Amino acid sequence: MTRITIDPITRLEGHGRIDIILNDEGQVENAWFQIPELRGFEQFCLGRMAEEMPVITNRICGVCPEAHHLAATKALDGVFGVEPTPAAKKLRELLYMAFFVTDHTTHFYALGGPDFIVGPDAPPSERNILGVARKVGLEVATEVIACRKRNHEIIALLGGRSIHPVAGVPGGWSRAINQEERDLIREVAWKNIEFARFSLALFHKIVLKDPVYLDLVTSDLYLHRTYSMGTVDASGRANFYDGTIRVVDPEGNEFAKYHPSRYHEEIAERVEPWTYLKYPYLKKVGWKGLTDGMQSGIYSATPLTRLNVSEGMATPLARAEYQQMYETFGCKKITEARYQPIHHRMATHWARLIELLYAAERMQELALDPEITSPDTRAIPDPSRFVGEGVGSVEAPRGTLTHHYQTDERGVLTRVNLIVGTTNNYAPISMSIKRAAQKLITSDTPEESILNRVEMAFRLYDPCFSCATHFLPGKMPLTVTVRDPEGTVLRQMRRRG
Amino acid sequence: MSGTVIIGMGNPLLSDDGVGIAVARAVASRLTGSAGTSAERSGGELTVTELPTGGIRLMEAMAGFRRAVVVDAMLTGSPPGTLHRFDPKGFVTTKNTYSSHDTDFATAFDLGLLAGVSLPEKLSFWGIEAREFDRFGSQFTEEVAAAVPEAVERIVAEIAGWEGAP
Repeated sequence: MTRITIDPITRLEGHGRIDIILNDEGQVENAWFQIPELRGFEQFCLGRMAEEMPVITNRICGVCPEAHHLAATKALDGVFGVEPTPAAKKLRELLYMAFFVTDHTTHFYALGGPDFIVGPDAPPSERNILGVARKVGLEVATEVIACRKRNHEIIALLGGRSIHPVAGVPGGWSRAINQEERDLIREVAWKNIEFARFSLALFHKIVLKDPVYLDLVTSDLYLHRTYSMGTVDASGRANFYDGTIRVVDPEGNEFAKYHPSRYHEEIAERVEPWTYLKYPYLKKVGWKGLTDGMQSGIYSATPLTRLNVSEGMATPLARAEYQQMYETFGCKKITEARYQPIHHRMATHWARLIELLYAAERMQELALDPEITSPDTRAIPDPSRFVGEGVGSVEAPRGTLTHHYQTDERGVLTRVNLIVGTTNNYAPISMSIKRAAQKLITSDTPEESILNRVEMAFRLYDPCFSCATHFLPGKMPLTVTVRDPEGTVLRQMRRRG
Repeated sequence: MSGTVIIGMGNPLLSDDGVGIAVARAVASRLTGSAGTSAERSGGELTVTELPTGGIRLMEAMAGFRRAVVVDAMLTGSPPGTLHRFDPKGFVTTKNTYSSHDTDFATAFDLGLLAGVSLPEKLSFWGIEAREFDRFGSQFTEEVAAAVPEAVERIVAEIAGWEGAP
């Protein structure tokens, strides 16, 4: 067997390594994605008071502390047996929409977009947000920075602190807002909608109207027919803060719909000897290895799959864009509002922009809601209703995020389990790497193309390996090592991150 | 433009990874006599910020300040506790100054300039060699804990020098 290894240059900065295993015919047999685990997270939490979790878990990852803060706060609602007030739920969701806007905006302009806007084969020194600004106009840089700034201010206002929010408490939210603050948020939401529309227009103009890029989006390089997962509201439409988990099969038939607290009945985790990170899969379908299709329990939880499970979008502008995306891919309608799923992973970039528009519109809806300025932001837990166990789930930008806590009768943590967004996508990411390798390994592909096509497989998922291993984000440089069957290095390609 | 910002990078719950934050707080407390996040003093306002991730976020954290000091854990192979100093020209990516979700600090800094963000005239990076950075815990290893006082001294001296300069 020939082994090709892609690993970070240093132990410090990557914490991820890819092994692509070839068979004797030189074809790709498997792709293993190895991630060393950080130690002691559960031990660090056990024995602490459950109420500490929203401020501990929001430090697991510096990229989406807001998602962990909300999942933890919702898990505490369960532990203390308390239903938050309607105003509290709306304030939590409002903060979350501001976060989604900054996160999706940053991904598109800094990480995912450069492949399309600057070009998939442009030198890496140009394939970044500066390259995007040079190509489409310098004012884009100003717009991205302004978008982040105004939403970070709203997050700090609602969350009580910038970066690591503190306002989530069991049964509610510790920070009410007044009329003046609501007006400010409404104004920010309006600017967000305008900016999301501008971003989608840019995507249409530069990507969809260009046959080469359209081909890249619709190509089968990263096509995997997996099950799709996402959270939906009572009408079956995508919601990022709360709802029911829905899973559809590769044809689009509803396969499962369950309350997040029942995740252990639906999801099992496959342990493989080469990695600490477990592969989650649908228990009732079963693990068939790193393969897709109806018989394989592998599912994905991404912006694209959230749209795949959704009965259209809950807001008007996002709904129209949703329809256009599915129609561009030639998907047929299978319900009043929902289409056959899209399995072309590159479409995740488009789906992310549709979610950006939805988050901006939803932010405006919430800001206009008369209840948003209600001072009634907390239901005080009743000790007689104490449960001692809770599951909190939100849609993190990178996939469904679940926190599950158990405590003793004093509220001291006895068990902590997290399934983070990227973990859900561990198997699909491995398959996308395998697919990229299959297409590229056999030919005399230039070094730069191999590195970039493998990176593009990562980027579309925007994975947080750091978070998946309970770790902080690090650098993701690549080293690709090609070895012969005896393990001798034949070729080595490196890119510093 | 405000005075000086001292940015402590890392995760305070991840053993030595939190050393940058501890040093930043200690520097602020030495210079202002207060452990708060922002204080007025004779040399101008001093702000201390805890930052978990780099890239664009790091550039934004220093926006609007005249002077910025960044302190982070790093791993270069030197003995744990070794103190390194870099200026932006000789910039070396420390443990948390890159974000895998957007970009490296150098690109983020250029982005800020392009977007007309007002960025510091004086800027330095300090790295403290870590030993334990992949185990949850709020204690530093011995060598790293021992390195804190010298790091604080040198950074305090640097800020005093900057602020004293005409």
